[in-house]
Amino acid sequence: MSDKSMIICRCEEVTYEELIETAEKHKCSARELKLRTRAGMGYCGGRTCRNMVESIPRQYLPNKEQLGLVTLKYQPPIRPVHFGDLGGDET
Amino acid sequence: MTNDVIIIGAGPAGLSAAITCAKHGMNVVVIDEYYKPGGRLLGQLYEEPDGSWWNGIKESDKLYNQAINSGVQLKLSVPVINIERQGTEWNVFTNMETLQANNLLVATGAAESPAPVPGWTLPGVMSVGAAQVMTNVQRVKPGEKGIIIGVNVLSAAIAQELKLANISVESMTLPKINSMNHDYAIPKNVVNSLLHVSHLSPSPIIKIGSNLMKYKLINKLALKFYPNKGIKMWDIPIQLKKAVTQIYGTDKVEGVTIANVDDYGQIIPKSEKSIEVDFVCISGGLYPLAELAAIAGCPFYMIEELGGYVPLHNERMETPLSGLFVAGNITGIEGAKVAAAQGTVAGLSIVNNTLNSAFEFELEEAIKQVRIIREENPIQFHPHIQNGRKKMQKYWNEYFANNQESFII
Amino acid sequence: MSQRIKYHPLLEDYKDGKNITFIFNSEEYIGIEGDTIASALLVNGIRTLRYHEETGTPHGLYCNIGQCFECRVNVNHQQGVRACITPIEDGMVIKSQDVLPTPVKDWREKHDK
Ligand SMILES: Cc1cc2nc3c(=O)[nH]c(=O)nc-3n(C[C@H](O)[C@H](O)[C@H](O)COP(=O)(O)OP(=O)(O)OC[C@H]3O[C@@H](n4cnc5c(N)ncnc54)[C@H](O)[C@@H]3O)c2cc1C
Ligand code: FES
Repeated sequence: MSDKSMIICRCEEVTYEELIETAEKHKCSARELKLRTRAGMGYCGGRTCRNMVESIPRQYLPNKEQLGLVTLKYQPPIRPVHFGDLGGDET
Repeated sequence: MTNDVIIIGAGPAGLSAAITCAKHGMNVVVIDEYYKPGGRLLGQLYEEPDGSWWNGIKESDKLYNQAINSGVQLKLSVPVINIERQGTEWNVFTNMETLQANNLLVATGAAESPAPVPGWTLPGVMSVGAAQVMTNVQRVKPGEKGIIIGVNVLSAAIAQELKLANISVESMTLPKINSMNHDYAIPKNVVNSLLHVSHLSPSPIIKIGSNLMKYKLINKLALKFYPNKGIKMWDIPIQLKKAVTQIYGTDKVEGVTIANVDDYGQIIPKSEKSIEVDFVCISGGLYPLAELAAIAGCPFYMIEELGGYVPLHNERMETPLSGLFVAGNITGIEGAKVAAAQGTVAGLSIVNNTLNSAFEFELEEAIKQVRIIREENPIQFHPHIQNGRKKMQKYWNEYFANNQESFII
Repeated sequence: MSQRIKYHPLLEDYKDGKNITFIFNSEEYIGIEGDTIASALLVNGIRTLRYHEETGTPHGLYCNIGQCFECRVNVNHQQGVRACITPIEDGMVIKSQDVLPTPVKDWREKHDK
C-alpha cells in the first residue's frame, strides 16, 4: 500500500490522494472539501480525521492567517441516534 | 424537573466542579457516556517528581466517592447528543431523555489526533490512549509485541506504562512524512519540541529531553549526533531518525516496514526493513473535544499552545453564553491536576453567580490555585501553555470590548 | 491471543470476577465480569469487530474510549453499539456489521436527487 492510498477518514475510507487532488483542483475550503469527498462526514462525526482534513486546504490557500475567531461547524446529534432510543422501545 | 447544574463529563474537571457545587447545596447531575467515572484520569500512571506514583484509578475513586457523598447524581453510559438554550434554561439531550438546568458545565476533555501511516486501518493498530486504557483499566494486553509511532509526552508516558505491564515495545519512532504531519514527522521539529520541555523536572519525556541535552552541543548538532539505533528510555529505543513507512498484514497487523530518514524526514533509499509486531500504537497528540460548545454557538479561537480550537472563556471558566461554563481539557490540553483545579473554579463560579457574588474571595483563590498547579505540574503537553492562556484572556477582553453587551442571553 | 494482566508492579492485582458467557458471530465465548465487549473479545484473540459497510475491509478497536466508533457492533439487535464502552453481559448476542447488500453510495446515487 502506498502513501496515496493511505486512508485518512476511516469511517468513509477517503484516501489521502483523493483529498489532496480535490483540494488542489478546487482550491476549496475545508467545508467544501468535506462535502466533495465525504471525509469527516461519516459515523463518528469527524472526531478522528477532522484536524487532518482541515489542514489540507490550508496548504493550498494563499491566505494562511485566517486562524482567529471562528464559529466551528458541528451538527447535532453528535452521536448517532437510533429510532429505538428516541421512541423508548426496542426495535 | 430543573436541576441547578448539569455537568457533561465525569473526568477530573467535571467531578471536581460537581463536588464544589454539591457542597454548596446545589442539586447536581453529572452525565458521562463512559461506563466508569474518572474520564481519562483512569488510565494514568506516572512517577511524580518526589518519586511517588500518580495512580489514576485511585484518584478517580477518590473523586467519585467525594461526589457521591456530597449528593451528586451520576449518570454513566449516557451520551449527550445535543445541547440547546431555551429561555433561561439549558436543555441537555441524551439518547434517553432530555434534562434541564440553569447552569451547564461542558467538561468533555480531549481527543487524540492520529499520526496515520499506510495500513493504519488494520485491526491491531490503535491510538496510544487505547493501549493505555486496555492495559491499565481493562487489564488486557493490547498485544504481545508492539511499536509506537509518534514521539511526544503522551506516547512516552504510555510506553512506560506498557513496559510496567510487561508488554514488549520494539521502539518508539516517527511516522513517514506527508504534507499534514511536518510537526511530528520531521526529526528536527520533534527534537526541538522535546528539547523545549526538558527544563521541567522528571516527566518521562524529560528523560529523553535531558538525554538529548548531552548531544545538544549546539542545538542543531543534537540530531547529527543522535544515534541511528536511538537512545533508550526504560529499555525502549527512541528512534528519531527512523520512520514507519507502512503497516502490513492481511486481516490484522503482522508487522511494520521501517526506514532510516534524514534530518528533514526524507526516506533514505534502500534502508527499509521489516519488523514483526502484533500491535501498533499511533500518536499525533491531543486536541480539545469541544463539539458540544460548538453546537451551543460558542465562539472559538485557534490557539496552538492549547492544542487547537478552544471555546472562548475567561479565568472564571465562563463562556460568553450565559449559564454555559467550560473546564478541563476542553479549554486546552494540560494534565489532570490542572483540569481538576479548573473544575473547582467552574464550580465556584456557578455557586457565586447563583448566590449574588457571595463567593468572590473563594473564587479568586481557586483561580490562583490553577496558576500554581500549572507551574508545578510535572506533565506539560505544550511548553508554551502559559502563552496560550494569555492569548485566550486577550481574546476574551477584545471580544467584550467589541461586543458592548455583556453575555449573550 | 492477548493475555490478561493479573499482576502489576504498581496497580492492584486483577480480581477475577464471575465468568460471563456471550455469543459473537454465532460462536460462544467467555469473558469476565468487568470486561467491555472489546476487551472480552481481545482476550479471546479477536481483533476484527466489523467489516466496512462498502469495502468489506476488517476494522477493529481504535480509540478504546468511545470517540471513533470504529468498534461498533450489533448487540441484541441494537445497531451501532460501541464495543469499547459497553460492559459485557451474560447472554449478550453480538454480531459484526458486514458489507451492506445495497451500498449506501449506490442507494444515494439512485435516491438522492
Ligand atoms: C487518550 C488520552 C490519554 C491521556 N493520558 C494522559 C496521561 O497519561 N497523563 C496526563 O497527565 N494526561 C493525560 N491525558 C490528558 C487528559 O485529558 C487530562 O489529564 C484530564 O483527564 C482531562 O480532564 P477532563 O476532566 O478535562 O476530561 P476527561 O478526563 O477526558 O473527561 C471527559 C469525560 O467526558 C465524557 N464525554 C465526552 N463527550 C461526551 C458526551 N458527548 N456525552 C457524554 N460524555 C461525554 C468522556 O467520556 C470523559 O469521561 C490523556 C487524554 C486522552 C484523551
Ligand atoms: S474504539 Fe473508538 S469508539 Fe470504540
